[in-house]
Amino acid sequence: MSDHSQLLSRSIGIIYPIILIFGLYVIFNGHVTPGGGFQGGAIIGAIMIAKYLADPIPFLSLEWTQSVEKATLLILYVLAALFCIVTTLQIVVGHFTIFLILSNTLIGLKVACGMSIIINRFVYYETR
Amino acid sequence: MIQVALVLVILAALAAVQTRYLRHGVIYLGLFSLGIAFVYLLYNAPDVALAEAIIGSTLSTVLFIVALQKYKIFTIYYRVSGEDAGQDAASQSVIKSLEKFCTKQELEAQIIYTTEPIADIVENHQFSIIMNKQNMQYDVFIHENNYKIDALKTYLSQELPSINVKILED
Repeated sequence: MSDHSQLLSRSIGIIYPIILIFGLYVIFNGHVTPGGGFQGGAIIGAIMIAKYLADPIPFLSLEWTQSVEKATLLILYVLAALFCIVTTLQIVVGHFTIFLILSNTLIGLKVACGMSIIINRFVYYETR
Repeated sequence: MIQVALVLVILAALAAVQTRYLRHGVIYLGLFSLGIAFVYLLYNAPDVALAEAIIGSTLSTVLFIVALQKYKIFTIYYRVSGEDAGQDAASQSVIKSLEKFCTKQELEAQIIYTTEPIADIVENHQFSIIMNKQNMQYDVFIHENNYKIDALKTYLSQELPSINVKILED
């Protein structure tokens, strides 16, 4: 896909923000409507593919994405442990929605980073 | 409704297996994913349908196509007659230029020197293009189903306008 297509890059430039907003909607509304962190993260990860089809230049550094992914996973674990402790000790009762939105956001970020790493690694670095 | 979707899914799966070209198989697989996502939706599993539609028809399709693009080997048959082994400067510069074309298109050039007649090469070997040198005139033969046909024509008309591109039909 080294042929640079003006038509493709223009149209992707237009739908790009719409995909991003749809992904964010799926993440933040995941606890009431179909979808959730994983699906929303995958939609945001698909932006990487759209970017690659429009102009194939890497724009996210691998190290940075990997660190964000690792940090997100750690925060997710801490959050889950914290939620278990808080609910069993009955310090805070209720507030499931806040927890769900928070963990969906973290999962979405993690999946988006993971997808970006796979695509980045595969299309830009992997040769024979 | 669901029967129609299921029949479509089966047809797409059969087409993906039966097609001659890998590229078409990948597209049929994307169609299959879309159909099965619709079936999941009809079975009241919108979460799974969403994941299938994204992963199956977007991410994996593009990754497969990129993989096909990356590992493509472009086989060039260079046909030489007895006394001329294709080592002179003019032939080498033509071959260099074709290798440059391959690098540009993310292809792996593989050059095979042969003395067989063109009809035999077409009949017996897997080739991308055949170079033929006759009285200092180079001809490039390319099959009509080759999807690089337009790219090669444009490239050759810019870099080496003296070369004739001839199209082989089935």
